[in-house]
Amino acid sequence: MSETPQDTHLGRFVAAMAYPFTSTARTVGTVAVAAATYCLLVLSSFPTYTMQMLGADLAYADDALLALTANTYQTIGALGLGLIVVYAVVTGIALTTAIGRVRYVGIRGARGLSSVLPGLVASGCASCGAGVLGLLGFVGALATLPFHGNLLRLGGLVLLLGYLSRIGDPRQCSIPAASGSE
Amino acid sequence: MDLSDSPTTRRALLGGIGTILAGGGVVYGASRLDSASSPPPDVPLYSSSETTGFGIDLQGHPVMGESNASVDMYYWSDYQCPFCRRFEQNTLPDLIENHIETGSIRFVFIEYPYLGEASMTAAVMDRCVWRTVREETPARYWEWHSAVFDAQSSSNSEWASRANLLDITREVDGIDADAVDACMRERRDDIEASIETDVQQARQYGIQGSPAFIIYNRQTNAAGQMVGAQPYERFDEAISKVRNA
Repeated sequence: MSETPQDTHLGRFVAAMAYPFTSTARTVGTVAVAAATYCLLVLSSFPTYTMQMLGADLAYADDALLALTANTYQTIGALGLGLIVVYAVVTGIALTTAIGRVRYVGIRGARGLSSVLPGLVASGCASCGAGVLGLLGFVGALATLPFHGNLLRLGGLVLLLGYLSRIGDPRQCSIPAASGSE
Repeated sequence: MDLSDSPTTRRALLGGIGTILAGGGVVYGASRLDSASSPPPDVPLYSSSETTGFGIDLQGHPVMGESNASVDMYYWSDYQCPFCRRFEQNTLPDLIENHIETGSIRFVFIEYPYLGEASMTAAVMDRCVWRTVREETPARYWEWHSAVFDAQSSSNSEWASRANLLDITREVDGIDADAVDACMRERRDDIEASIETDVQQARQYGIQGSPAFIIYNRQTNAAGQMVGAQPYERFDEAISKVRNA
C-alpha cells in the first residue's frame, strides 16, 4: 500500500494550509481571525495606552493600531513585525482548521479535542510574547530579550506550524482505511 | 494524489503568498509612518530647585513654560523609545504652541531609561548636557534633545553609544562637548543614582512604560496620568479636565 500525501507531515501541512481557502466562507473567516489576532497582538504590546485610547473613544482604534504598528516596527524591526503578521495569518489558518476538525470529527472524536487544544494553546502563546508581559507591567521587556523577543515569536510560530502538520485537512481522516472527503 | 500539482498545493501556495504579501505590506506601511522633527520652541527653558506639590524634585530637570503656570505636566521618556520620538514629533509641538507658550502649563522633562544600557548612557548624557548649558544657554538643551531623538535607531545599537552621542553633541552649536564628556567620566555614578531614584519614583506612580505623563493642578492637587504617544486632542482634553478639577 503506497503512502498518501495525508500520511506525511508535509502532505498534512500543505492540506491544512489549503483547507481555509476551499470555500469563500472559510477564507473570509480565516482572514477575519488573522486580522483580529494581528490587532490583538499589536494593541496588547502597550495595554495601558490601548485602554486609555479605546476608553476615551472607540474611534481612536485606528490611531492606536497605526501608532503601535509603527512603534512595533521601530522597536523590533521588520523581521519582528513580519513574524507577528505571519503568526496572525497562521493563527487564522489553525483556528479555521481546528473548527473544521470539530465540525467533521466532533469534539469527542478520536482526535477531536486533543487535536484542537494544541492549536489554541499555540495561538495564545503569541500573547506570551507581548500582551501578558505588558499586562504584568513589563512594557518594553521584549525589547530587552535576545533578538527583541523574535526567538519567542519564532517558537510560537513553530508550534503552530507543527500543529498544522499534525492535523492536516480536517475533512480527511489520517487512517487510510477510513479516509475520505466531504 | 500528486502533491506537487494539485488544487490543495495551489491553495496552500496561495495562502503562503497571501501571508507574505500581508506581512510585507504591513512592514512597508509601518516603515512609512514617520515624520519630521519639531522646530525649536519660542519659550525659555530653565532650572529650578523646587519640589512640586506632587512630589517631583525639579533639581536637575529641564523645565519649560511659565514658572507660575497653574498646571504642571511631568514627562518621563527614554531616548531609545520610538513612541517617545513619535510624541516629540507629532504632539509636543502642538502642546508647546497651545499650552506652554501661552503660559497654561509648566512642562518638566524627566529621564526614564528602561530599554537597556544605552538608554541609561543617553539619560546620563542628557543630565550632563543640561548641567553644561542650564546657566547660560539653556535653549541649547532643546537642540541637543531633538538631535538625539532625530538620530534614534534600533535600540541598544551603535547609535546610542557614548561615542556616537558625543558626536551628536559636537554637532550642536553652543554645547561644550568636552565638558559633557568630562561630566560623563566624573559624575556618571552620581547621576545614575539620581536617575534610578527618579525611575523608582515613577514606578511608585504606576508608570511602566514611556512616554508617560502626569498632569497636575498645582492649586487643587488634582492629577491625571496618560501614557503613550496619544493624539494632541487627548492631551488637550486631559489638561482641561485637570485644570477644571
